[in-house]
Amino acid sequence: MSGTLDPPGDATVAWLRALAERELSAEEFAAALAVPISSEERAAVLELVEWFGRRYPTPAERLAYVRRAYRRWTRAVPSRAASP
Amino acid sequence: MQGSEFDEVEFFRAIERSGARALLIGRRALVVLGLPVLTADYDFWVHIDDIALLNTAAEPFGLLPTRSPEEARARGRYVLENDEHVDVLVARSVPTVDAGRVVFEEIWTRRRAVTLAVGVNLALPSLEDLIATKRIAPRPKDLEDIRLLEALRSKEQP
Repeated sequence: MSGTLDPPGDATVAWLRALAERELSAEEFAAALAVPISSEERAAVLELVEWFGRRYPTPAERLAYVRRAYRRWTRAVPSRAASP
Repeated sequence: MQGSEFDEVEFFRAIERSGARALLIGRRALVVLGLPVLTADYDFWVHIDDIALLNTAAEPFGLLPTRSPEEARARGRYVLENDEHVDVLVARSVPTVDAGRVVFEEIWTRRRAVTLAVGVNLALPSLEDLIATKRIAPRPKDLEDIRLLEALRSKEQP
């Protein structure tokens, strides 16, 4: 499956990074935080927390899971260096 | 030691044994608290006088500092790195986006110890203080993390 995925170009990577890392203004930040967390959003988060805690009951297991998941995630996106 | 062989529990054990006042912040702190988020790096906030202790603890893992302790104190940040990446915040206090300040000594006093393995504890800010650290660099993902932490807080304080 990963073989069918074209690696993103340098410009795309840079654009995505800039988007993710940009600092919001105080006004943007306040406006976003002023939106209350809905009961649905809260329930969805707590459902994930419940699953995560049940599947990985200890902090060490949760940290180890994240290392595995991150490796899996980075392997799924082929690097440009490895592409033909 | 290469990052692929990186022993996370031993890394935290070394930090604890070093005596460095180092708080785990960032997304890995969220993971410890039970929130399933992905991250590539580790984020610590270390006491301004404990940089050398932290560096000494990290050295056996092949993690090398990008700045001397003096430079790190002057710039407020440095990185411990090999193919692992550890961002280290070094400051007595840091301003937040809403004109507040997060003070290391205060959040260190309120820290919570989390047991990682027998004889291995790591230091986390309180939930409230972790939310405050997310107001330091107000990026979209920090907003997302605050909402996750607020939802978690509603569970702890119904």
